[in-house]
Amino acid sequence: MGQPKLKSLVRCKDRDVGEVTKVIVDPLSHDVSHIVVKLDDGTERQVGMECVRTVLDAVVELDALSSDIAALPPFVRADYVTTREVEISHLEDHLDVIPGEVLVPLPALEKDIKRRTFFMNFTHAIGILIGLPMVYPVLRYLMKPMYAPFDNEWLKVGNVGKIKEEDVGVQFQYKKKVKEAYMPESEIEKTVWILKATPSVLEQVYQGKDQEFRDPSGRLIWTNKKDVPYVAFSGKCPHLGCAYKWRQHKTLGQVFLCPCHLSIYDAAGKVLDGPAPRRLDALPIRVAANGDVEIIDMEFKAGIKSQVRIM
Amino acid sequence: MRQPSVSNVPSTTVEKLVAFLDQRVGLKEIQAKMLNEPIPGGSRWAYVFGSILLFLFVMQAVTGVLLMFYYVPTADHAYASTQYIIHEVDYGWFLLGYHFWGSSAMAVCVVAHMSQVFLWGAYKPPRELLWIVGLALFGIVIGFGFTGYLLPWDQRAYWATTVGVEILDKTPILGDFLARFLKGGPTPGQLTLSRFFVIHVMILPAALMALAGLHLYLFRVAAPAGPFRGTPEEIKAKTDYFFPRQVWKDIVGMAVVFLTICGLAFWEPVVLLEEATPDPGEYHPEPEWYFLFYFQMLRLKMFSGEVGQFMGAVALPVLFMGLLVALPFFDRDPERNIFKRPIALISWIFIMAIMAIFTVSAVINREFLE
Repeated sequence: MGQPKLKSLVRCKDRDVGEVTKVIVDPLSHDVSHIVVKLDDGTERQVGMECVRTVLDAVVELDALSSDIAALPPFVRADYVTTREVEISHLEDHLDVIPGEVLVPLPALEKDIKRRTFFMNFTHAIGILIGLPMVYPVLRYLMKPMYAPFDNEWLKVGNVGKIKEEDVGVQFQYKKKVKEAYMPESEIEKTVWILKATPSVLEQVYQGKDQEFRDPSGRLIWTNKKDVPYVAFSGKCPHLGCAYKWRQHKTLGQVFLCPCHLSIYDAAGKVLDGPAPRRLDALPIRVAANGDVEIIDMEFKAGIKSQVRIM
Repeated sequence: MRQPSVSNVPSTTVEKLVAFLDQRVGLKEIQAKMLNEPIPGGSRWAYVFGSILLFLFVMQAVTGVLLMFYYVPTADHAYASTQYIIHEVDYGWFLLGYHFWGSSAMAVCVVAHMSQVFLWGAYKPPRELLWIVGLALFGIVIGFGFTGYLLPWDQRAYWATTVGVEILDKTPILGDFLARFLKGGPTPGQLTLSRFFVIHVMILPAALMALAGLHLYLFRVAAPAGPFRGTPEEIKAKTDYFFPRQVWKDIVGMAVVFLTICGLAFWEPVVLLEEATPDPGEYHPEPEWYFLFYFQMLRLKMFSGEVGQFMGAVALPVLFMGLLVALPFFDRDPERNIFKRPIALISWIFIMAIMAIFTVSAVINREFLE
């Protein structure tokens, strides 16, 4: 059965009673639930779809007598809102109550345009031509500061006189001058751990070989001799880059402990426990005759097995 | 020109003005459409979280703009200007506190909103896109939190950013580029602050507004899902419009959240740590409380080593989000009653329990570190 249309004649079993003036839709099912019938006396009645027997092109036949319809309570407009005042998506998709389609003629100039697709593609092409040349400059613009050359300057961090015991991590604080982009030159505080190692610990750190530091082109920057007892560890935890400390551990004794994710290293920098993927990073160190220590400040990428220098 | 949808003859000046505007803008029709949205099965307290999130965002935008009147996003002034806001500017402590606790409230309400949608089975067809846009919004809220707490440039800011960016760095192939791109260099500094600032105050708000608009639009197109049990007749009998009952519940929810945030801003004011430097002193770096569970998870043995680290930092979050995105596509069962979806219910309880347990153990770990 089709949907009742506006202005359809409403026919009861005994006679015609009037015409359809409104239809009422169920907001959840989107089905027409009632029609509103305007009787000959000008009053309106709300008739449920269960009373409708058949819906013809311009006639709605009801399964009721005209007196039954007239006896229904009058239709109360205030109990309803129009579909324009309520948010029910796709409601119109389910309704065909509008008698006939509403059409608007095309403007004369819009008729017989053969190259609509061409114009559409042309529009896109122009858009791409505007956007594409921007990609590279914008990327370069944003990438400008990302890759800086390494700084291999020696920085004085203190005097080994500060170290009283062997195989104990001692933190040295030092200031590093930085000149970032347009900013005035400033000093930042950094830390490095320096250890006076016994031969057995030194053996574990260097594994019997001198440690060479090379720049990306392969040029030698410095060699840490395997028999120099002073070892410098970068202050940055190789797990995720936090700053670790020297702490007494309940079972492991004195260790390097990172408070972030609880990586634990022994005095030689070896991972004892926790999530760290590699040992602590030894830095180039040189100790003058008077005990002054200098290091080259290097930072390595955290979280990977191999040592990749980033600064 | 369109006729006003409700025609009554205007008499007072105000009515005339309203009629003038209505005729040109169609105000009454817009208002009617906004408010007359049928809610199948009627309004509920469980539905308040979406509106509350919108309210929270508006308040974050308002307080955020106000903070920018004094805040300076430079490495040499960010800390001082934030201290100035807290200690010198009248009610600066309050606005900063509100903004700070507002972000926590957003994290809480996002999880509540997602849980409600998940438990009600409201992500199921035809609401897949609505769910996915919601997940994108979740990502944006996380991004707001992460970029936001670098801005005060104190120790917490510095270390949370250092670790957060190192996590991003673990992304295969693109990780190094992304980390440097975000930091504007190899290590955190002025350019990191500039970038986080732009992301926090321009890019994320724009993205959030666009996606929240899309989210609302898709919500209106799909219509609310309604309760997960009841016959169509029962649901129809209880159906009402968005206004007034749901609006009332929403506004009560907003008021409760507002008062809670005000209370927290008052009794738990923001206290900055030392100014950011790569030397943390005695400070034990820790993220914001709503990231604590993840922070604690990364301490697990199973996430150790290079592979474990990749699993914890990248694979696990990506898999989890991927699973949520795919959820409406592999969960094709139209059953929405959570009590008839045991796997869904158990998964939700499991995830909430994991988050609770790891948060608590992170807090317990603090003592161990002292």
